[in-house]
Amino acid sequence: MEEMEVKRRALELAKQIAERIKRGEFPEIEYPPNSQKNIVFDERVGYIFDPKTFSKIRGSRVKSLKTLAGVLYGLSRALDHLENGLTMTKRDFYYVHKVERLKGTLFPEDQRETDARIVLMELILGMPREAFSITSDPRGWIYGDIELIDRSGRVLRADQVGEMGYSVPPRPENIKFKRIGVKAVIAVEKVGPAKNMIELGIPEEKKIAVAILQGQASRSMRRFLRMLSDEGVPIAILTDLSPWSLRIAATVIYNSINSAHIPYLASPEARFIGILTKDVEEGFFKDYQFALEPLTPADLKAAQDNQYLPNLQNEFWQKENRWFLEKKKKAEIEIFKAMSPTAKKLKELFVEYLREKLDEHMGISI
Amino acid sequence: MPEEAQLEEISAADFFYRNKSLAGFDNPVRATYTIVRELVENALDAAEVAENPPQVEIIMSEYREKTTGSLPWYRIVVADNGIGLNPEEIPRAFGRVFVSSKYKLIQSRGTFGLGGTMALLYGQITTNMPFRVISARRDEPSYEITMMIDIQKNEPIILDRRILKGISRASFTIVESYFEGNYPRAKKKIIDYLHQTAIVVPYADISFLDPEGNFFVFPRSTDRMPPRPKEALHHPRGVDLELLQRLLQSTKARTLKSFLTRHFQRVGDKTASEVLRIANLSPDKKPSKLTKDEIAALFHALKSYDRFLPPDPSVLSPLGADLFESGIRKELQPEFVKAVQRPPSVYEAHPFIVETAIAYGGQIRPAGEIQLYRYANRIPLLYDVSSDVSYHIIKRIDWSNYGIKNPEDEPIVFFVHIVSTKVPFKTVGKEFIANVPEVAKEIELGLRNCARDLRIFLSRKRRREMLRKRYELFRMYYQIIAETLQEILGERPPVENLLNKLRVKIGEEDGGDGGQEESS
Repeated sequence: MEEMEVKRRALELAKQIAERIKRGEFPEIEYPPNSQKNIVFDERVGYIFDPKTFSKIRGSRVKSLKTLAGVLYGLSRALDHLENGLTMTKRDFYYVHKVERLKGTLFPEDQRETDARIVLMELILGMPREAFSITSDPRGWIYGDIELIDRSGRVLRADQVGEMGYSVPPRPENIKFKRIGVKAVIAVEKVGPAKNMIELGIPEEKKIAVAILQGQASRSMRRFLRMLSDEGVPIAILTDLSPWSLRIAATVIYNSINSAHIPYLASPEARFIGILTKDVEEGFFKDYQFALEPLTPADLKAAQDNQYLPNLQNEFWQKENRWFLEKKKKAEIEIFKAMSPTAKKLKELFVEYLREKLDEHMGISI
Repeated sequence: MPEEAQLEEISAADFFYRNKSLAGFDNPVRATYTIVRELVENALDAAEVAENPPQVEIIMSEYREKTTGSLPWYRIVVADNGIGLNPEEIPRAFGRVFVSSKYKLIQSRGTFGLGGTMALLYGQITTNMPFRVISARRDEPSYEITMMIDIQKNEPIILDRRILKGISRASFTIVESYFEGNYPRAKKKIIDYLHQTAIVVPYADISFLDPEGNFFVFPRSTDRMPPRPKEALHHPRGVDLELLQRLLQSTKARTLKSFLTRHFQRVGDKTASEVLRIANLSPDKKPSKLTKDEIAALFHALKSYDRFLPPDPSVLSPLGADLFESGIRKELQPEFVKAVQRPPSVYEAHPFIVETAIAYGGQIRPAGEIQLYRYANRIPLLYDVSSDVSYHIIKRIDWSNYGIKNPEDEPIVFFVHIVSTKVPFKTVGKEFIANVPEVAKEIELGLRNCARDLRIFLSRKRRREMLRKRYELFRMYYQIIAETLQEILGERPPVENLLNKLRVKIGEEDGGDGGQEESS
């Protein structure tokens, strides 16, 4: 159905352009740009795309014309892929332009050119790229007692499909939840600690699910978390204590500027449970300051930039961020390893920390 | 002063013999070039006097191979369709140094007023071979005279004299001489000289068969010749003391006053009286009776009197913008050429006219250095370009104002031609022009004048190119759009209509200020 909608919109656009050419007029495409004016940040819902201004791609101007031809060409390739049930990555899309007959015109200088075109196509069609067959390599898993029906109609249980659980597909839109048997989902930034939790049997024992983000959460993972959130599942975010991790957590909660025009990627109900500065200063890790890591120059730069990011403006984020600027240190989730001489001890610590945090931030007891 | 005059005559050939470098014979390479040049200039002059579009043929061949310790000998033959000489004139014209009288003022081509005589003398000095002149006036018999120059006496020695043909229908002169030289190393200069001469004498046919068997042809682009210069009297402020003395000695005028009005331009009765009053000399005094002090007083009076009208420029014979452009077009095949003739001007009482030109593009290639062709009285100047006033002016001008980033890196050639009764050469070598403010000003104005046209040409050309590129981009993109829409909709939209519309639009915009919108 999403595919049908993409095709409908693309055909409409193509027809409108062809009509204008037939009338002897230069074609135009009007679209809402993802400029600052059109993006609003609201603490309660995250980034919202609210088009107030529109731009025109004019076929009567040389520079615009390239964009217009590029959009049409991109659409024709996307439609062809959809028709044949094929997907492509951004890199594929770049290579689709590296063809002989496009030399001197649409042949790209580098991938940034075609990546920008993809965003433009999203804005013009009002659809995320995944809907028109341009997907990312899947990134993100979920492990726990959740039964879902995937797009092929199979029923899967997310704790019975492999060591890391269910691999979230590029376009989770069509997934349906059949049964959710967990109290909460813990979205963990890093693969290592998350796998340990699974290996230690914590999800089964404590009736929670572990979502593995593997760094910055992918668009598909964020969409999937939002779908769970919409089903009423509490989402808890567990990351390092670092300038980058603040962004990771905030992106799960608020979405990002770059994908602000894609709806339903924010999970405003999600809670950032740790690692927080107070955990290090006076809480769970206060006796383990020796295990902190120094900030690298790149980390420090990120902390400085964090002072100006729209989604990190409230006092909580800024207070957390100031700590990096003052202490020039960070804590990684792997700190649990430094605290636990044995696997048994590690499990105890994980459970203890999660119990404390879920209770404190979400009123959930495990 | 008959003794003095005689002394000078006797020493003339000798003087040259000892001071070869002054006349451009300082080494065999330079001498080879100078010989070709002097004989060609002579030939061109002869044709111009006859008011025939010149036809000059040069044949040079190796006469004796290089032997140990000596250079090869060359035989050079230069033939022209000039006015021709009768048998009495030939020995006088070629057999003595300093034959020309300079009692009248006229723009002349020969750099030293010596014509080809020095060239022939050099040949004689290096080979001890006689030279031969064959010549005829129109409808008169042609003569062949074989001769040498007696260096001490500065007199021709006629070795053989014969009539070749009863009556010659056309006038001509052929000069044949032998000299020791170095053609391989002089070759480039000689070809440059002929090429640059072909530009400034576009109405001449010049051909050159060189010792290596190469045949160079510089055909004329026009039959039209610039008007001959008129002979005129000297301007009173332009004479030097030496010339004034000679004029006083040789004049037929009986009084100083009539001497002044008869021998100088811009001097009437009233002016003559005033000058003589300043010099404190009686108007009725006999010119030949002046004492050395009186001559000096007259000279200073002529120099200090400031109400003479400027000198008469009709003694000058500039090429004219059309002929200049014609010559440049035929030799360089540029895409753009503009020549300008400045109005006559004066420096130190010498009239002069500057002609400038700029050629751009076409067959011209960037040279990595300034390409400047300089001419003085229609003779190319090939040495010491970087000392020349024109070179400094070109270096000083900010060419970016004229659409040229750096003239060294662009296909641009500059031309500066100065005609004057006294070209302001900086040195005795007569290869570059001094920085005389009046002359420099005219050169700069002339070049800027040409450059303004170049700027207009370049901006139109660049705009045309921009529009062509723009149209081409439109064509390519609408091609893609058409193909893509055909793929999506199964029908190819008629983009050609749009493109035709655009072509019309571009045509209308040409020369306007459209196409700017793209930059936003």
